[in-house]
Amino acid sequence: MAPLSIQGVRKSFGSVEVLNNIDIELEDGGFLVLLGPSGCGKSTLLAIVAGLEPSSGGDVVIGDRNVNNVHPKDRNIAMVFQSYALYPTMSVKRNIGFGLEMRKVPEAEREAGVRKAAKLLQIEHLLERKPGQLSGGQRQRVAMGRAIVRDPDLFLFDEPLSNLDAKLRVEMRTEIKRLHDRLGTTTVYVTHDQIEAMTLGTKVAVMKNGVIQQFADPQTIYERPANMFVAGFIGTPTMNFLEGTLEQAEGGLVLRHAGGSLGLGGIEQEVGSFVRKPVVAGIRPETFTAAAGSASTLSGKVDVVEPTGPDTMVILDVGGQMMTARLGSRDRPRLGDPMTLGIDMRAVNLFDPQSGNRI
Amino acid sequence: MSRTSYSATSSAPLSVWDAINPVRMLGELSETRYWMYVLLLPSALLITAVVLYPTLYGMQMSFREMRLNRPDLGTDWVGSKHYARMLADPIFWVSLRNTAVWATSSIVLEFVIGLIAALALNRNLPGTKMLAVVILLPYFLPNVVAGHMWALMLDPRLGVINDVLVRLGWLDSYKAWFADPATAMAAAIVVETWHSFPFFTLLIMAGLKSIPSDLYKAADIDGAGPLAQLRLITLPMLKTIIAAAVILRVIGLVNSPDLLLILTSGGPGRSTQVLSLYAFQMAYKDFNFGYAGALSVVMFVLLMGFAYIYIRLAKVNQD
Amino acid sequence: MPQAAFAQSKSINYWHTFTSQSEQAGLDEVMKLFAAAHPDISVTPENIPNPEFMAKITAAVVANTRPSVTMVSSERFRDLLAMGALSDMTDRIQSWERRADFADQRFDSITADGKIYGVPGFAFVDWMYYRKDWFEEAGIAVPTTLAEMYDAAVKLTDAGANRYGFGLRGGPGGQYTILNIMEAFGSPVLHEDGSTGLDRDKAIEGIKYFADMAKNAAPPSAPNDGFRQIIEGFQTGQTAMISHHTGSYQDIASKLKPGVEFGTMAIPAGPAKRVARLAYAYNSITKPEDADAAWEWIKFWGEPDAAVAFLEKTGYFPASTTAAQDERIGGNPMYAAASETLGFGIPQPSFPGAAGWAESTVLPAFQRVLIGEATPEQAVDEMIAGLAEATS
Repeated sequence: MAPLSIQGVRKSFGSVEVLNNIDIELEDGGFLVLLGPSGCGKSTLLAIVAGLEPSSGGDVVIGDRNVNNVHPKDRNIAMVFQSYALYPTMSVKRNIGFGLEMRKVPEAEREAGVRKAAKLLQIEHLLERKPGQLSGGQRQRVAMGRAIVRDPDLFLFDEPLSNLDAKLRVEMRTEIKRLHDRLGTTTVYVTHDQIEAMTLGTKVAVMKNGVIQQFADPQTIYERPANMFVAGFIGTPTMNFLEGTLEQAEGGLVLRHAGGSLGLGGIEQEVGSFVRKPVVAGIRPETFTAAAGSASTLSGKVDVVEPTGPDTMVILDVGGQMMTARLGSRDRPRLGDPMTLGIDMRAVNLFDPQSGNRI
Repeated sequence: MSRTSYSATSSAPLSVWDAINPVRMLGELSETRYWMYVLLLPSALLITAVVLYPTLYGMQMSFREMRLNRPDLGTDWVGSKHYARMLADPIFWVSLRNTAVWATSSIVLEFVIGLIAALALNRNLPGTKMLAVVILLPYFLPNVVAGHMWALMLDPRLGVINDVLVRLGWLDSYKAWFADPATAMAAAIVVETWHSFPFFTLLIMAGLKSIPSDLYKAADIDGAGPLAQLRLITLPMLKTIIAAAVILRVIGLVNSPDLLLILTSGGPGRSTQVLSLYAFQMAYKDFNFGYAGALSVVMFVLLMGFAYIYIRLAKVNQD
Repeated sequence: MPQAAFAQSKSINYWHTFTSQSEQAGLDEVMKLFAAAHPDISVTPENIPNPEFMAKITAAVVANTRPSVTMVSSERFRDLLAMGALSDMTDRIQSWERRADFADQRFDSITADGKIYGVPGFAFVDWMYYRKDWFEEAGIAVPTTLAEMYDAAVKLTDAGANRYGFGLRGGPGGQYTILNIMEAFGSPVLHEDGSTGLDRDKAIEGIKYFADMAKNAAPPSAPNDGFRQIIEGFQTGQTAMISHHTGSYQDIASKLKPGVEFGTMAIPAGPAKRVARLAYAYNSITKPEDADAAWEWIKFWGEPDAAVAFLEKTGYFPASTTAAQDERIGGNPMYAAASETLGFGIPQPSFPGAAGWAESTVLPAFQRVLIGEATPEQAVDEMIAGLAEATS
C-alpha cells in the first residue's frame, strides 16, 4: 500500500492533447475514481499510471518512488481490465497465480496465495476451469483474484464492470467496495458510470477533454459541482438549469426568469457581483418540494408525469424552460394543470453562464 | 410446396390416391427424422462425385496393371503386386527418407521464419504495411516461376548468389549447389522456405490480430517478458491456426513435386528424389499408373496418419 | 447464311516444345508465311515445356481436350501411339504432292505396323560445337574419335581458371548422350531384331569413359547441367566442347563468332560405332475433328521456303531433301558437319517405355556415378534392371 501522486502529467499524440497537466494526490488506502465521458482521457491516464503508455511529461510517484522509467512489472501494481484479459489457455488457478509464477514465487507459497484469493472471492470451485467455461461475473472475480493475490501497492481498475449486465454490475460493485474496505489497498478506478463513482470513491476526479474538471470527495462533487459540466454529468435525472438574470429586489436577491422570479434567500454563495448579469441556477430534481409554502417557489404548467414507483417525476414548463422535479409517489398532478413547487435554496448552485463555472 | 403442406395437414380420411400420392408421401417424410438424410443427399452425392470417386478410383488403380504405353498388358487386377514391388524398391525407401527430410526441414524453417516475420509485421510501425506486401510477394509467385528464378540465382555460371558469396569471401569459387548431393537438398529447402514462409506469416498475422492487446498488457504487469509472452500467450493462442497451417503445408510439401522437378528432377543421383516426384515420374515418364497409384496411396495413408497423430499431439480439439 | 463468309475460316492450335528465343523466332517466321498462304486458317501455338510435355498431353488425351496438331519427337512416338493420341495419316501422306521430297526412311520413326502417324517438320542433326580459337592456340586437331576427344578435353581443362574441356550434360536431357556413348562402345539398347537389352561389359566401358570425362574435363556442375546450362557454359567461355544438335546454332552464333571463335564438327566415332542421332520433329494430327486444317499446317513445314526460313532463324535442318539441297545451306561451310552427319546418322532407339527408362533410370544411375554414390558396374546393373522392369 502506498499513496499515489500524479504531478503535471501530460499526454499528446502529435498535436492532439489527450491529457493536460493532470495533478492528483491520493492518500494511502484511498479510492480514486476517474470519471468522465468516453474520450476524456481517463483510460489513458490509468495506462500511464500503470506504465503501459509513456507520458509526454510530468511525474507519477507511487509511495516515495518516481516510477516514470519503471517497467509495469516493477511498479508493484495490479490491474483489472474491462475485458478481464484472462489468459484463455490457462486454468483459473494458473491465471491467478501467473504474476507470482513470473516472479518465481515458490510453488507452495503461490498455491497458498491463490487459495486465499480464491476463497476471498468465492471462486475456489472454479480453479481448474478455463476462462472460456466461466460466466461474465466469474471471470470478473478471477480477474480480481489475479490482482489481489500479488498484494500490490496499487490496484488499477479499467471500467471493470461495463461488460456485465445491470444486476451483476450492482453485485460486483458491492464486492469491490467490500474488498477495498477489507484490504485497504490504494485504488485507481476508471469508469463513466457516476453511480460507481459515487458509491466507490473516496476521491473522484471528473474529467473532460483531458482536463480535470473537479477533484474532490463524492459528496462535494454532488452538492457543490465546480461547473455546469460536472453538475450535469453527475446525478440522475440530471440537474435542472434555470436561466435568468440576477436582480436586487426588495426582499433580497432574486433570479428573474422567463416564467417569473425566484427568491434566492438561503443560498450559500456570495453572488453580489453578478447583480444585473445573467446567471444559471442549478437545481437538483430532489430539491423541489410539492409544498408550495416555502420562501422560494417556481410556477409552471405540468408537462409530463412519470411515476417510477418510489417517486414521481414531474416535468414542469416554467416559461418555456423544462424543470424536472422528483416528488413523492403520492403526488400525481394532472397534465396541463398549473403547479407551484417549493425549493430548498441551500442546495441550489448558481453558475456563470459565460464560463460555466460555479460562482 | 404449398400443396405438400396442404395435404400433410389435411385431416380428411385417406383415399387410395392419397396413399400413393408422391407429393403427399414427400410431405409426410418431411415430418420424420429421415428427412435430414434426404436433405443431405445432394451434398453427399456431390462429395461422392468430386472427392470420394476419384480417391477410390486412384486406390483401385493401385491394385491393377495399368501401363498406358503397354496396352498389350491389359488392365487386370494384380492384387498387391505394386505394394510388394515397393517394399523391395530401393528408390521408394530413398524417396521416403528424402520426403521426411524435405517436409520436416522445410516446415520447421518456414514456421520459424514465418512466425518471426509475422511478429515483426504485427508491430504496426510506420512502413510495416508496405513491408508486409513485399514480404508476402514470394508466395504469390507460382512454384514454377520461383523454381526457375532460383535455379538462375544459384546457377554455377551466372548466379548472383554465388557472386555475392565469393565477393564476401565465404566461397572460394562458384558452387554448383544442385550438382552436389551434400548441398542439393539443402539448397532446395532454402528455395522452398523462401517461397512458402509467407503462408505462415499470413496465417499467423491473421491470428495475431485476434489476440486482444489487453492480454499483453496484463502480462506486462504480471511480469512476463517478451519470450514468456510468446511462449505462454501468443503461441498457445495461435495453436489452432498453427496446427492448421502445418497440416496444410505438410500436405503441400509431401504432395507437390513441381519445385524439385524444376530444381533437380530428383538428382543428382537420387539425392533429392521424393515420393511425389517418384509417383509423378512413374505416371508421366514411365506411364505406369498402377505403380504410381500405389505410391500415391502410400502417401495418402502417411499423410492421414500424420494428420491424425499431429492433431492428437497438438490437442487442438481440447478447447 | 450470313455466316457463310466465316464458315471457311478455321482455328487450330499447335502444341510445341520450342523454348529458346531463336526457336520462337523460327516458329513466328513459319507462321507468318503460313498466314500469307492460308489466310483462312488461324494457328494458335501453345508452348509446352519439355519436362511437362508428357504429363500435359496425357491429361489432354484422357480429358479429350486434345490440341489439333502436336509436335511429336521420335522418342515419344511409341508412348503417344500406345495411349491413342495419334491419328493414322497414311492416306493423306501418300497422296501429298511433296511426298517425293522426303526420303522413305524419314518416316521410319513415326511408322508403326505400316501406318504413318506424322510428317517430319524439321530434323535434329546431332553434332558438336568446339572452341576453334582454343584448339588452334593449343595446337590440337579436331577430334574424330572419342579417345581423341577425351585427350583434347583433358588438355583444354584448367579448373583453376574455370575452364573445362567438355560441357557434359549430366542433368535433364543428358540421358540420350549417355545412351549414345554406351552404344558407341558397343552396347546399343535396341537391337536390329527389335529386342532390347544392354551388353553389360561394353556399357560399363562407356560409362567409365564418360564418368572419367566428367571427372577430368567437365565443370563440377555437370550432374545438374541441362540444355540451358551447357549452352551457357559454352557461350560464356567455360567449356571448350559441347554436344548438341544443329538447333542451337543461332543461339551459339549470337554470342561467339562462327568460324573464328567456334566451329562445328561431326560427332567423333566410338570404339564400336559412330553414334550421331538423326531425329525428326514430327507434326501429327492429334484431334481428328480438325484434321483438314491441321493437315494444311503440317504440310506447310515441307515447303522449302518455310523450311529454309526456319533454318535461318534456328539452325534446325529441313527434313525435306529438296529443301536441304537449297543453295542457302549447301553454300555455308558451317553446315558441312551437319551435311556429313546426314550420311551416317542413325535414328533414336524407340520402344514403349524407352523415354521413361532413359529419364528415370539411366540418368539418375549415371548421376550416382558422378557423385560417387555408385560404381559404373552398379550403375549399369541398375540400368539393366530398370530396362527389364520397363519392358516386362
